[in-house]
Amino acid sequence: MTAIKTFLRSKNAILLFFLIALILAFAVLSGGGTLRPSNIVNILQSITIVSLLTIGAGTLMIAGEIDLSLGGIGTMSAFIAALLLKNGVPWFGALLAAVAVGAFVGLINGFLVNELGFQSFIATLATTSITTGVGYIFTGGMGVTIEDPVFRFIGNEFIGGYIPFSVLIAVIALVVYAVLLNKTKFGRSVYLVGGNRAAARIAGLKPKKILYGLFINAGALAALAGTLLASKLLVANTVGITSSQFAGLTAAILGGISFGGGTGGMGGAVIGIFILSCFNNGMTMVNIQPYWQTVASGALLLAAISMDFLSTARRKKSEVKI
Amino acid sequence: MTNRLEFSDITKAFPGIKALSEVSFCAECGQITALLGENGAGKSTLLKILSGDIKADNGEVLLDGEPQNFKAPSDALSAGISVIYQERQMVSSLSVMENIFAGELPRNRFGIINYKKLKTEAQKLIDLFELPLDARMTVGRLSVAQQQMVEIMRAYRRNSDVIAFDEPTASLAEAEITILFKLIKELARQGKIVIYVSHRMAEIFRITDKIIVLKDGKFVADLKTSETDERTLVKAMVGREIGDTFSKLSRCTEQGEMILEVKNLTTKKVTGINLSLRKGEIIGLAGLVGAGRTELARAIFGADKIDSGEVLIDGKNIRYKNPSGALALGIALCPEDRKEEGLVLFRSMKENITISVLSRIRKFLFLSNSEEKRLSDRAIEKYDIKTPSINELVGELSGGNQQKVILGRATNELMSTRVLILDEPTKGIDVGSKAEIYQMICDFAKTGIGVIVISSELPEVLNISDTIYVMANGRISGVLTREEASEETVLELAMAEQ
Repeated sequence: MTAIKTFLRSKNAILLFFLIALILAFAVLSGGGTLRPSNIVNILQSITIVSLLTIGAGTLMIAGEIDLSLGGIGTMSAFIAALLLKNGVPWFGALLAAVAVGAFVGLINGFLVNELGFQSFIATLATTSITTGVGYIFTGGMGVTIEDPVFRFIGNEFIGGYIPFSVLIAVIALVVYAVLLNKTKFGRSVYLVGGNRAAARIAGLKPKKILYGLFINAGALAALAGTLLASKLLVANTVGITSSQFAGLTAAILGGISFGGGTGGMGGAVIGIFILSCFNNGMTMVNIQPYWQTVASGALLLAAISMDFLSTARRKKSEVKI
Repeated sequence: MTNRLEFSDITKAFPGIKALSEVSFCAECGQITALLGENGAGKSTLLKILSGDIKADNGEVLLDGEPQNFKAPSDALSAGISVIYQERQMVSSLSVMENIFAGELPRNRFGIINYKKLKTEAQKLIDLFELPLDARMTVGRLSVAQQQMVEIMRAYRRNSDVIAFDEPTASLAEAEITILFKLIKELARQGKIVIYVSHRMAEIFRITDKIIVLKDGKFVADLKTSETDERTLVKAMVGREIGDTFSKLSRCTEQGEMILEVKNLTTKKVTGINLSLRKGEIIGLAGLVGAGRTELARAIFGADKIDSGEVLIDGKNIRYKNPSGALALGIALCPEDRKEEGLVLFRSMKENITISVLSRIRKFLFLSNSEEKRLSDRAIEKYDIKTPSINELVGELSGGNQQKVILGRATNELMSTRVLILDEPTKGIDVGSKAEIYQMICDFAKTGIGVIVISSELPEVLNISDTIYVMANGRISGVLTREEASEETVLELAMAEQ
């Protein structure tokens, strides 16, 4: 009983109610259209890419940093995978290389922040530009088609006719990271480092090591997301994943991961991902013009940040009380 | 023009501490009045009340007999009061002249700043005080002393009648001090009311006209500088009754072998430190704020870089580069600033207790819930921590309980702590909890832990330590046993000029 009570008072409960209200509202507005199986499959398919980016960006936000380079990393990695496939490298080699490159860019981000003392916002803003540019240079700005059967399967097959295979990857990733954050030393350290870096260091944690781990992890996940998107579209292109990067950040913020660091988790992030996907999908289903959809997405993000701001302000207030 | 500043029955309490109680005295124009007292005597609180930063619970500040009611620092400023703090309060990216005239820059009729006039006006002030400054220099590129001069000129430009200085010489070299003193004397000569807060005895005799001594938030003496001497002042500053808090302590009487030796340790902040600690020994580090005590602790703990010298554990020279390495050897630090460095306030009490031993409470890859609960419950029981549950955010606990959480973290059974460094362990803690913490410190020693306690409260250092190291200007200025040490001897060593 007490567990239910605690949950009802938590931020996640509010988010969950909001999600349910959103689903119901769009279901009514679309005359049940959003609840049709084919549409639900659509929504599921759209969450895969965002989920991976949300995990990368969200874990870094919990540790008090931000990563804006995920779009660039995703784009570049997808190109690398596609080019390797074109040159006869087997599918796992291409995927591995893409992820390794993503991890390497993450390492560079970590170096810039840890050793050179750059703010992560600026460091990753620079690397996203560089990686996107490198992607363009490799391919002359042209899309690279993918014909590999395994990539085609990963991006486009359904299990049991309904569940997209790629969703499985997202679900596994979300579960793994939820366990990692809640149950392991590394996960706990992420929260403590995000909550108070100086205190965490004095207590024997190694904040730099944690940040390296998180940046590398976010880079690798972004590379995976970029490659998955390419395998779904069967082409690596320059539009790629850049818009999904902001979807990833938005979902993390919607899901209650605060910019201040130290709070939030995968549970909230999952709800945030669904809020965002259902919102975007619902707007299309009720025929809102695309331009207005963009405006509405912005408004949703503002609403989410306001919520974050208000709860941080309350947190600050209780700090003074001490 | 204000001729007389009066404090009347000023009382101010913070949770658990009475910072000032019924303090009354006055300062006259054309005189430099010193405010003297130990750390915690209430000098800073009094300045903050003067500057409108905080409000007194009771009592009044009067200017020429008129009671003032400052709601904010701006009120005090417009009443003609400028307080110059140790931390500079200027815009470092702007020029000297812009900072002097901040808020009242001369403008032409289009509202554009008249730089020509600004420069002439600023130069007039610089010439008046005969200062080695260029009006167009960027403030951020000036030395600390020069920045201070700019701030004084700003106070003068505002026509402040009352100018108060909070330890203005703390980070100045001798040549700079000479210029500063000339400036301060000039202010007094022009009929300003000057308040000068310092605990450097020599300076007080050099420039002040009268001395107000505070002790434990109470007014003790109002003396003419020309009619008093250092001995009298020291006695007035420390002559307090020491309660029986300390006589009741159950101490550790046996000391074991050497566990920690520091040889010729030098960092950016401390120089040539030698220190040795035995099992069961309590070392007290005394000294004024800024003497280098915290920095020494941080160096021993691996938190700051060591430039030269050795730290020996069990006679072996072991280099560790970070706190994590120190903890692995059984050295723990409980930092002075609980909120900044001690605790992760927005996480639970449980998470703060186990933070240093996460690797040791794992089953396979996962943190063990039951171990976390056991360690937290044990800390609650051992230190009598008052918390609604182990999941309570540690920021919601009281200061004393927060300190106990840090102690619980540093001494839990999985840590095998052998050297425990406590930086101001009773800061901001009420009297009752203080006594508890003193006994805990003695209990640590009884279990064979070597303890180093940094404290700015003299009675505390004098009564719980077996050996007292006094620091001044980043060096050890004296080592005393508890029997040898008295408040006077320690204070003299702490104020030793190099």
